[in-house]
This record gives sequence, structure tokens and C-alpha cells, in this order.
Amino acid sequence: MPDDVPEAAGRRFAEGAFTSGLSVPDFAACLQMGLQPVGYVQGFCVMQWRWYGMRSPFGVGVPYGGQGGGYEETWQCPHGFVSAEHRGWGQNYEQSWVEDAWRQGFDTAYRRMLEEAAEVGAHGVVGLVDASDRLGDLGVLEFKVQGTAVRVDGASDPDGATPWTTYLAGQRLAKSIEAGFAPVSIAASVASVRVWAYCITEYLSEGSNASWGYRMPTSEIEQTAHAHMAVRRIARERVRAQLGADSLHGASMVTTEAELGQGDAELQCILRGNRVRRFKEFDPLPPPQPTVRLR
Amino acid sequence: MSTDPQAQLTNDLRAEMREAADFVSRPPPSGPRGTGRRKARTSDLSIDEELILHSIGWEPLQLVCGASLFSVPMGVWNWGQGEITFASEAYAGSFATATERIHQECSQVGGRGVVGVHIELSVRRHHVDVALVGTAVRPTGSKGLSPDPPFVSDLSGRDFALLHVAGWVPLGLAVGASFVYAPRRSAGVAIKQKSQNVELTNFTEAMYAARESAMERMQQSALAMDSTGVVGVRVTEGPMDFAHHAVGFTAYGTAVRLTAERHQPLAPRMVLPLDDPAPEFDVTSLRSR
Repeated sequence: MPDDVPEAAGRRFAEGAFTSGLSVPDFAACLQMGLQPVGYVQGFCVMQWRWYGMRSPFGVGVPYGGQGGGYEETWQCPHGFVSAEHRGWGQNYEQSWVEDAWRQGFDTAYRRMLEEAAEVGAHGVVGLVDASDRLGDLGVLEFKVQGTAVRVDGASDPDGATPWTTYLAGQRLAKSIEAGFAPVSIAASVASVRVWAYCITEYLSEGSNASWGYRMPTSEIEQTAHAHMAVRRIARERVRAQLGADSLHGASMVTTEAELGQGDAELQCILRGNRVRRFKEFDPLPPPQPTVRLR
Repeated sequence: MSTDPQAQLTNDLRAEMREAADFVSRPPPSGPRGTGRRKARTSDLSIDEELILHSIGWEPLQLVCGASLFSVPMGVWNWGQGEITFASEAYAGSFATATERIHQECSQVGGRGVVGVHIELSVRRHHVDVALVGTAVRPTGSKGLSPDPPFVSDLSGRDFALLHVAGWVPLGLAVGASFVYAPRRSAGVAIKQKSQNVELTNFTEAMYAARESAMERMQQSALAMDSTGVVGVRVTEGPMDFAHHAVGFTAYGTAVRLTAERHQPLAPRMVLPLDDPAPEFDVTSLRSR
């Protein structure tokens, strides 16, 4: 039995009336499938958020990153010594400390939500919603995960087992089950890559490949392009590592870039989706029949 | 036992839900469906799209992506005349390189093409960024590489299935873009027009010039893929946020070709949906003002 569910939450769950975050159509579809909502469960975690924390280049007092392992790539200036300000070399590296902190915040909120779901004796949690938001200018990041805990009519008692979870609810969940995919859990990962630009990246990113009427032809900003590919690759590898032999459905990949000036940038990619396991083979649907709506 | 088909469907669904819940409460099975034998698959397709792909004999494989950034030199946006070739070339270059990278990833996972590609596109003052993210697909159970290059399409799984049923295939993304400098008016003309609502022909002409070049480029890129046409064309046009005397026109869509002997008629079925919103009657609209 979970031991850190807030006392008030425990009392609320014991009161009898269920709560749910489902829309009415989703609620109706869940009942149709034999899913009984038992409670709206939530987990929160507020993390202090610093880019230059422990294990960052600043945290360990060395002038370059990548010592935490993971992706790292360097670029050498082709010009030789020009001046002290000249960016003689550049580096892309994975910010493992940022990823670890995100993972810790997300996992903690997720685990707390699961504890509440287990408290109400749920088999699973449907219609999950998660978010990570900055709280004002406090330098903190709030992680929240919430969904509707459900019990499956006629299924064997969960007996303390970890509830399954899915972002799906209602008709989409019904179709997934019908197609033979059982929800296992949500899967989410983050990748964070820092670009320390070298001179060429700086010039190309700031348009400095032109002077007094002469303009060099346009060309790829290789260092930043590599970082874009890397951040997406790392996020996918992380999620694949969570999947085992299961599959990821309905994935959403969101990449954001913060330009820091002089070609420097910070890239973050968050990938999330539904981890599903095939529990039966299914007969393929007949080819779709096109329809015209008369309205 | 109930003979009502609706009740039967509900009972089946409940039984399957129970089976699914019991199945995931047990450790993952070993053997053909267990760990080690089957590679994890990832897809950003919705369950509807996945089902519809299966219905036409295709399956999703992996989430794949391609990204590229091309530089735009300083000073090209504000002063000059005619087309801003640096920007147009940067756009074309970044799209081509991103497409090449997603092709590579698709081939590596054994895909025959990529569907549902999300196109993240950003034209900035000093660089053009393109990122393509989609799901690699292949005919169910097919192995090995196809002699044809994989296709990349921003059509959804549903649209891809519809094309397939109608005897067409997607070939790739056809892209065209053009950025044109709208010359400044002379001081005399600017003063004369200051208090008039008149057409700014310099902008209109620049817009037309950009449009013609972009549409032609898109068409040329479709022809280079040996396609018969482009579907789902999306265009953006207008002045650039950071350079008000430069106008841009971008267009992209999926190049397609008929592979069946002739277009297969789909014979759509007419349906009258019963979920129309109730018409709202607002009595105040009848009052005279």
C-alpha cells in the first residue's frame, strides 16, 4: 500500500463518489468497455531548475561539456589563431544533468499519481494529461501528471500491482483494445543538447558570411544541424530503451530551441506516447469505405 | 445469450478489455512476442491511422526525422531588387538536406516511405530551419530494401490509404519557395500617396513574382520525381516579420503518380450525420436597429 498519499486525498478517495477528468463521450465509452472510473488521480513535483547545476561544465569547473557521457561532437576552427575572442573550437554535447533533472521531476510526479491510483484499487489510469511549466521567474519547474483511475469490470483484483496508464480514453482506447493493443504505460523522455558555436557556426548563424558587397554562398550550418538531429535521436533512443519488446503509439515529439547569441543554442526534445503490448492478433479491417457527408 | 448485434459488440469489447487488463498484469511473455525477438516500434500515427494502414496492408515501423539549417548572409533582406536568391537557395537547400536525412533514416529501418510528416519550418533573418518528423511505413511483412527511393509525404495515414485504394502512390515532397524584394517607392510617389488608399504596386508585383517562381519550382520538383501532380499543397505568403520590404511565397505538397491502369473510382457512400449542432435562433437578430 502506498505510504505517502496525502491524508486528505486518502479521505477523499474513501468517500464513495467517484471523480473523473473524462469528457462525457469518453466517460460513456469507458462504461461501454467495462471501465469504471474510481477517482481523478494526480501527481505533482516542483523542481529547482538551473541550467548550470551539478555535473554541468560550470558545476565541475571545467570549460567544456560532455564529461557526463552521451553525445558529444567537436569542431575545430580552420583559421588558426586570430584573436583571443575568436571562437577557435566548438562543441555540441548532451546536457545529461538537465535530462536527469527532468526525468526525476517527471518520474516523481508520475509515481505519485500511480500511488493514488493504487490507493483507490485501480487497474489502470486513462486520459492522462501531463505538463511541465515554469512557475513565474522563480527558477523552478512544476511537473504534473493527472488522469482518471479506472477499474475493469470482471478483471482479477489488481492486488497492489502497478496500474497501467495511457494518454488515450474513450473511443480511441476502445479502438486500440479492439485492434489488439493493451495499454502498458505512458513513455516519455527528454533530450537536451547544448551548442557551443565555433567561428564558422557563429558567422553563419549571424549572417557574417558577407562583407562589403561580397557574400559567400549559402551553406548548411553543420554544427547546429547535427545538434538538431542528435537531440531527436537521443529522445527516441531513450524511449526505445523503456519499451522492451512493446511498441509506442501516438507519439508526440516536440523540439524547442533557445538561441543564445553568437551561434550558441540550447535544444530540447520531449518525446512521449503510449506504450502498448499486443495481447491478441486481430483481423485486419476491410479497406475503408469513403463517405460524403450530406451537410 | 443476446442476439442483439450492439449488445454482442459491447460484450466482446468488455471481454477484450478484461483480457487486456489481465494480460498486462502478467510479466511480458517470452517467445515470439516477448523481449528479444521483436524490436520495439515507435510511431506518431493515431490509432485510427494505424488501423487504416493495416487495412490496406501496410504497417508502421519507426519514428524517423531529418533536420537541416542553411545560412542566409547578412544584408540580403533590406536592400536590393528582384529575387533574394540567397534566401530562396537556403530554403531549397535546407529542405533537400532534411529530406535526404529522413530518407536515410527511413531506409535504415527498412521503410518504403514516410507518412504523416510534420514539417517544422522557420525562415529567420540569418538562417532557414527545416525539420521533418514522420513514421516510416512498409507493406506488412515485406523485408529488404526497395529499388525505389523511399517516399516522404505529409499526407495523413488516412489520406495515404485513400490514395492507395484509388490507385495512386505518393512520391515525395514537392517544394518551391521564392523571396522577392519589394522596391521602395520614390520620395515623390511616397509623398503623393501618403493620404490616399491606393494599391502599392511594388508589393503586389513582388508578391506575384514570388508566387510564380515558387509555384514553378514546386512543379519542377514534382516533375523531377516523375509525378503527375501534387496534392495537399500548402502555401504561405506575405512580408517577412524581420524585413518589411521582402515578401516570401512558399509552397509544398505531396507529389503523386497513378500506378494503377486508371484511377479507381471510390464510389463514396452518402451519409447523413446525426451529430449536427442544433441551429441557434437569436431573437435579437430580428430587431431593427
